[in-house]
Amino acid sequence: MKNVLAVALGILSAIGGFVDIGDLVFNTQAGAIFGFQLLWVVVVGVVGIIVYSEMCGRVSAVAKRPVFDLVRERTGFGAGLMTLVASEVVSLMTCAAEVGGVAICLQLLSGLPYRFLILVAISGLVLCSWILPFDWIERIFGYLGLGLLVFAVAAIKLHPDWGEVGRGFVPGAHSGGSLMVYLYFVVGLLGAAMTPYEVYFYSSGAVEDGWGVRDLGLNKVTTMIGYGLGGLLSLALMIVAAVLFLPRGISPEFLGTPPLAAEHVLGQVGLLLALVGILFAVGGAAIETSFSGAYNLAQFFGWKWGKKERPAGAARFTLTWIAMFGLAMAVVMTGYDPVKLTEYSVIFSVVALPLTYLPILLVANDPSYMGTNVNGRLANTLGILYFAIILAISISAIPLMLLTHGGQG
Amino acid sequence: MNQTTDVDLALGILDHQLVDSEGNNCGKVDDLQITGLDGDSPEVEEILVGGNAWRSRGRLGRLAARLSGNAVHVPWHEVEAVSSVVALRRPAAEMRLNRGDEHWAALIRKLPGS
Repeated sequence: MKNVLAVALGILSAIGGFVDIGDLVFNTQAGAIFGFQLLWVVVVGVVGIIVYSEMCGRVSAVAKRPVFDLVRERTGFGAGLMTLVASEVVSLMTCAAEVGGVAICLQLLSGLPYRFLILVAISGLVLCSWILPFDWIERIFGYLGLGLLVFAVAAIKLHPDWGEVGRGFVPGAHSGGSLMVYLYFVVGLLGAAMTPYEVYFYSSGAVEDGWGVRDLGLNKVTTMIGYGLGGLLSLALMIVAAVLFLPRGISPEFLGTPPLAAEHVLGQVGLLLALVGILFAVGGAAIETSFSGAYNLAQFFGWKWGKKERPAGAARFTLTWIAMFGLAMAVVMTGYDPVKLTEYSVIFSVVALPLTYLPILLVANDPSYMGTNVNGRLANTLGILYFAIILAISISAIPLMLLTHGGQG
Repeated sequence: MNQTTDVDLALGILDHQLVDSEGNNCGKVDDLQITGLDGDSPEVEEILVGGNAWRSRGRLGRLAARLSGNAVHVPWHEVEAVSSVVALRRPAAEMRLNRGDEHWAALIRKLPGS
C-alpha cells in the first residue's frame, strides 16, 4: 500500500509536471501543423526526462542532495548564481503561464471575468499549498489531472490511420511547413518534455520524503511509469490535433481549443473531463513551479527548506513560494496571452537546461557521493547522449524562435 | 574528526551545505579562511558564510556581496564532521547563523496555521 501511495508522487510529476501547459501548447500546435510527423520527438523527450529524473532521484536517495545543492557544489558560486537566476526567471514565467491556464479553464467552466478568476486561481493555489500536506496535494491534483486521459480515448476513437501514426515515430523528411518551423517544434517539444523544474521538484520531493537506498527500485518505477504515462498523453494530444485540427486548418492558439476536440468525440462529458483534467494538471504544475522557485533559492543559499517544515520554521522558503505566486499573478494580470507566455517559457527553459543537467550527470558518477550506486553503463551512455542533445537544442533554441517568429514561419 | 580522510577543499567543502547540531540547514560554505599558506602547514581557520564572503567568488559574487551585509565567521573547531554536508557542533543560533529565517519568521507567525 505504501508503494502504491508513493507512486502517486510519480503520477503528480507525470501529469502535473509532464503534461502541463507547455505540452498542451506545443503538442497540439505541432499536431495541427505537422500531423503525426513529430511523434518521434515526444518519445525522445520522454526517454530524456526518464534518464535524468532517475539519475537525480537516485542522487537524492543515496547522497540526500537535491538538484540545486549539486548545481552549487559542482559549478561554484558564479555559474551557479547564473543558473539560479535563469531558472528562477523560467520558473516564474512557467508559473505565470500555468496560473493563466487555470484561470482560462475556470472561465470556460463558469463564464466569469478572466481577471477575477486569476484572483480565484491564485487564492485557491496558495490556500492549497498552505493548508494541505504534500501527499494530499499530490493526490488531489494528480488524480483529478487524470481527466486528461479523455484525450487518449479521443485519439483512439478518432480512428487515425495507424500506419501513418507509426511512420510518425521515425524521424525523416517532413511536409507541411518550413524546415526552420519543423526544427523549432523539435526544440519546443523536447523542451516541454524535459523542463528543468520537473527535476528540481522531483529531487527535492525525494529528499523531503526521506528516500534512502531502499527506494531506488521505487525511483526507477516512478520515473518510468510516471513519465511514460505522461508521454502517452502527449502523444494522444498530438494525434487528436493531427486528425481534427490539421485538415480543418485550425491553429490551437487558444487553450480552450483542445477541450473542444474531446467534446467532438465524447460530447459534453468529454468536454467536462478535458477541462477538469487540464485545470488540475495545470494547477498542479503551478504549485510545482512556485515551489521549485523556493527550493532552488533556498538550496543555493543553504536555507532551511521543505514543505514538511512548519511555514514559520522555514520562513524564507515559505516567503519565496508565496512571492512566486504573487509575482506570477502580477504577470498574468497584465493580460498577456498565457499561450504566448508558455512558448517563451519553454524556449528559455531549454537555455537553462545544460547547467541543470550537467551537475546531475557529474555527481551521479562520483563515488564519493554515490558509493556503489554510481551510474551504470546504460545510464551513462544515455546521460551523455542526452547531454549532447540538450547542448544542441539550448544553442539553437533562441535563434530558431527569432527566425520563425515563434513558430509562425 | 579523529579519523584521517582526504578531502578536496574546493570540491568537497567549498559550496557545501552547513548543518547545525539539530540537523537544520544553516547556510553554505561560501568561503574558507586559510592561514599559513606561506609556511609548510596551511590550515583552514574559518568558514565564511553569507554576505561579503561572496566577494571572492567572481564578478557576480562581488555584486552580491556589495548588496548584502557582513559574513558570519565560523571557526573550524566548530566542525563536527564532513560528509556530503559540513556538520557543526552547536545549534545555528549560537553561531549567529540563520538570522534571516528568525527575522522573517516573526512575520510568518502572524498568519493562521503557520
